[in-house]
Amino acid sequence: MTTTDIHALVGAYALDAVDDVERAAFDRHVAECDTCRAELDELRETAARLADPAWSVPPPRLKTDVMAAIGRTGQLPPPAPAVAETPVGRGRRRLVAVAAAVLLAGGTGVAVYGVQEQRVEEQRRLAAVAAQQEARVRSILAAPDLVVRTAPVIGGGKVTVASSQLRDAGVVLMGADAAPSGGEVYQLWTLRGRNATSAGVLAAGQTTAVQVVDGLPDSDAVGVTAEPPGGSTAPTAPILSLVQLA
Amino acid sequence: MTERARDHLSAVPDPPPDAAALLRAVAQGDEPAFGRLYDLVAARVYGLIRRVLRDPAQAEEVTQEVMVEVWRTASRFDGTRGAATSWIFTIAHRRAVDRVRAEQASADRARKVGAASVDTPYDEVVDEVAGRLERQQVRRCLDDLTELQRQAVTLAYYRGHSYREVADLLGTPLPTVKSRMRDGLIRLRDCLGVEVASR
Repeated sequence: MTTTDIHALVGAYALDAVDDVERAAFDRHVAECDTCRAELDELRETAARLADPAWSVPPPRLKTDVMAAIGRTGQLPPPAPAVAETPVGRGRRRLVAVAAAVLLAGGTGVAVYGVQEQRVEEQRRLAAVAAQQEARVRSILAAPDLVVRTAPVIGGGKVTVASSQLRDAGVVLMGADAAPSGGEVYQLWTLRGRNATSAGVLAAGQTTAVQVVDGLPDSDAVGVTAEPPGGSTAPTAPILSLVQLA
Repeated sequence: MTERARDHLSAVPDPPPDAAALLRAVAQGDEPAFGRLYDLVAARVYGLIRRVLRDPAQAEEVTQEVMVEVWRTASRFDGTRGAATSWIFTIAHRRAVDRVRAEQASADRARKVGAASVDTPYDEVVDEVAGRLERQQVRRCLDDLTELQRQAVTLAYYRGHSYREVADLLGTPLPTVKSRMRDGLIRLRDCLGVEVASR
């Protein structure tokens, strides 16, 4: 979901007419955008004015009850900057760290290639692509509605799929213990109904990968197969790992 | 602005307590100040919650929760982001909506939503007590909206419906409902002369 899309929720948000996921996404959005926050403040102030006509005198004993209740209730100190870390936050940070580590491993390979070929411009370009990809991965992994699923790989290892409806994308983290035998390579697939679409082919001997997949939330599953070098147009049985999304 | 000016004039003979000052005192643990703040906002807090929940007993319960929340979190009120009364009504509305959603999740949601009438829901509320200038002003400004803007805003605010439910109820596409909520509130803002201190 783009910034424009999310900001279109400003009215619904001010009216408390969004769900929890959208509310969290919108909170994040206004935290990054001062003019959006100014519009929200005004619309929320306007919505609160709608309480004016909703006037109904409560029974007098309610005040007695409330006064008694506050006598038993402590008060928050003025806001402190520190925010307690949630278990979700820790798990997510670990995921970001794993993704960054895999990307860095890829980046090292790129650097070696660049030095060997003495093609500094090419190296810079690839480094920029890698940095861009990393930013994209971080953005998806930071989505408030992120859903993370994993499945083992036959032969050892794990495939992790993190997908976000809001970003309309997902990240596939592949970590196999060993490369396929017989010179074959790993290939990633997104499966939807009876259709399989290639989501990337690993190089010979490559066992780890981080792949951004656009539109991933629309898929039913992510699969991994072993294919001839360069990959195939359709998956070859057996499926070595299958992460169900739906 | 004319309306605001008249509002101020009418308030001169009997100035209402300043909600922001009361709230600051409440943040310091001042219980009598909390009592005065309660008197100032309770009818609107209870009225709003009762309107959304449509159940007086539950409305009393949620009103108590909200007022205790106001006491507990008074130090978090930020006067640069809006008026003290709005801060309280925002908490009240959010709590009422949360309660509606929780109820709907456990009940037959489709049946309840289907049974909700799509007539102008604010009329009943406004008619509970007539007279005060703000109420008349809000009503007049609601009348100033297009039919779809008014339905979108009032179904969400007074009934606690999500924008998806509003789209279903009105048979209108989601993006249209989102837009009508936004431009409806903008029109209300201009009609009511709402301003936020920080701007």
